[in-house]
Amino acid sequence: MADLKLRDLRKSYGDVEIVHGIDLDIDDGEFVVFVGPSGCGKSTLLRMIAGLEDVSAGSVEIAGRNVNDIAPSKRGVSMVFQTYALYPHLSVYSNMAFGLKQAKTPKEEIDRRVREAADALQIQDLLDRRPRHLSGGQRQRVAIGRAIVRDPEIFLFDEPLSNLDAALRVQTRLEIARLHRRLESTMIYVTHDQVEAMTLADRIVVLRDGRIEQVGTPIELYDFPANAFVARFIGSPKMNFFGPDSLTNPPPLVSDSAATLGIRPEHLQPADGERALIEGRLELVEELGEYVLVHLIGESGNDFVAKLDSKPSAAPGQTLGFAADHRRMHFFDHDSGRRIVSPSNIESAEKGSGGEHLAPARFPVGSNTP
Amino acid sequence: MYPRPIEQASPPARWAYKILLPIALIVWLLPLLAVALTSVRSAGDIISGNYWGWPSEFNMLENYTAIFENTPIGQYLLNSFKVTIPTVIGSVALSCMTGFALAVYRFKANLLVFFMFVAGNFIPFQILMVPVRDLTLQLGMYNSVSGLVMFHIAFQTGFCTLFMRNFIRALPRELIEAARVEGVSEFRIFRYIVVPLMKPAIAALSVLIFTFIWNDYFWATVLTQGADSQPITAGLYSLNGQWLAAWHLVSAGSIVAALPPVSMFFLMQRHFIAGLTLGAVK
Repeated sequence: MADLKLRDLRKSYGDVEIVHGIDLDIDDGEFVVFVGPSGCGKSTLLRMIAGLEDVSAGSVEIAGRNVNDIAPSKRGVSMVFQTYALYPHLSVYSNMAFGLKQAKTPKEEIDRRVREAADALQIQDLLDRRPRHLSGGQRQRVAIGRAIVRDPEIFLFDEPLSNLDAALRVQTRLEIARLHRRLESTMIYVTHDQVEAMTLADRIVVLRDGRIEQVGTPIELYDFPANAFVARFIGSPKMNFFGPDSLTNPPPLVSDSAATLGIRPEHLQPADGERALIEGRLELVEELGEYVLVHLIGESGNDFVAKLDSKPSAAPGQTLGFAADHRRMHFFDHDSGRRIVSPSNIESAEKGSGGEHLAPARFPVGSNTP
Repeated sequence: MYPRPIEQASPPARWAYKILLPIALIVWLLPLLAVALTSVRSAGDIISGNYWGWPSEFNMLENYTAIFENTPIGQYLLNSFKVTIPTVIGSVALSCMTGFALAVYRFKANLLVFFMFVAGNFIPFQILMVPVRDLTLQLGMYNSVSGLVMFHIAFQTGFCTLFMRNFIRALPRELIEAARVEGVSEFRIFRYIVVPLMKPAIAALSVLIFTFIWNDYFWATVLTQGADSQPITAGLYSLNGQWLAAWHLVSAGSIVAALPPVSMFFLMQRHFIAGLTLGAVK
């Protein structure tokens, strides 16, 4: 177990810089998820921590030791790959024992550790099989087992669930969460799936274009997104955004300073007449049993979604009005996308670590948010 | 679906197919059949000009024992093995290593080195005849089995490297990275991860190189002379000199010479099944 510090970490290929100075502290035993759209540099970042990519500038420190020039094997990390990367010519047992054998661990010790890990992951019966005779979920568990037996200080997961089907993904996600609770080791997990990020993480790091957009607990990110990008990325369905023209009764902050209003679909409530903040033409209703997703087209042609408990009685084409609690409204600067704290939600903002900018201040797009 | 099964074609097309296919087959196999038939003829048939007719008598045993008893074909065969086997081992072993280095490591001159290996294959080897002969003479390797082996290894490694590099390149890179994170040394990654997965490539390449070298005639005649070091391809030519117009014996010798590469293919063909990497990644 160890903590991890990244200091102004940069990566470039030739003249092109793809990771632009990442500063991050990860505590011992923490579960941190790197999340972002594809090409945001999250996998590169993980591979730099693992030592599979050279560091162009800055430093990676594991347990207070700069590991920039230390081989991957000496860093005390284990990595689980998206493609599992099991050795196809070795049995499950040998796959898990391979690294230990190379490290000249005594045979009994190897055997004990492999059996222990196999018990924990319930793959005892598969030990003699070859990877090609396993299902996707079993392969991924073997890959995790191979990481466990080495007893690493830091676990690295590179999109480990992407190749699994939906049901297995949920199950394996739970297993990883259990594993973290049992081992209490530091884990870094890369995904593009915000649900995985929300459910697994102690803290989420949202990345875009090689920069950190926001770092925080899942709830902080949900309640106080630092900018429109994070707001859009966290939460499903996505947050709705409204400009001044698309609101029936725009709040002063929106009408005065051309800020954008963001409201999550689950925070929109039906409201009539004067109380309505937004009005939209009903387009489509998706009934999911537990809740109903209502797709609407607003006054300025923008589409938005409301998540309701029950199906509205209106027919398609009819106009519906919605309102939202002012504490559930998010304001973002129209140009920079930065969060603006309005007088109405300043109180709640102070409790979180969200935006601290009272005025609709303008910041360069994509600058770091520590 | 394409191609369509012949049963679905029109009747005339089917008839044409049934007639033309055997004819094409016979035309294609004719030289081989002629050699096989000649190798069992008696000397009398050859002298009387019965080249294509039914043999007057079948002398299979006599002819095949004669070439082993009366000619140094045994020595020639042995030479062929002494040249071919070390060449196969040498060039495949070397190209496994060069292929690994070129496929896995990123270094500045990587592509340049690789292209040099590839470009070497495009040089018509005939133009090298004189310089190579001079070189082997100066190195004191002229007319020796080891000289021929060295030369063949040097020449074949280019093609083998191209083959191996591309094969290793196609292996999932994560396998190597996973091993690296696990603390496996680079040599052990090569030895215990990459080489086992290269088995199909090694088998295919071995058969290919074995056939190339076994069938080589050009360099065998350029770099060697005499039964001490000449392989069988060159040796057959000298058989003809010893027995003027003894074509039945030369044919028998040719059949003997063709057996090893053919049997090599049948022995190794099951290794061609390249399904070994299946299951490594999804």
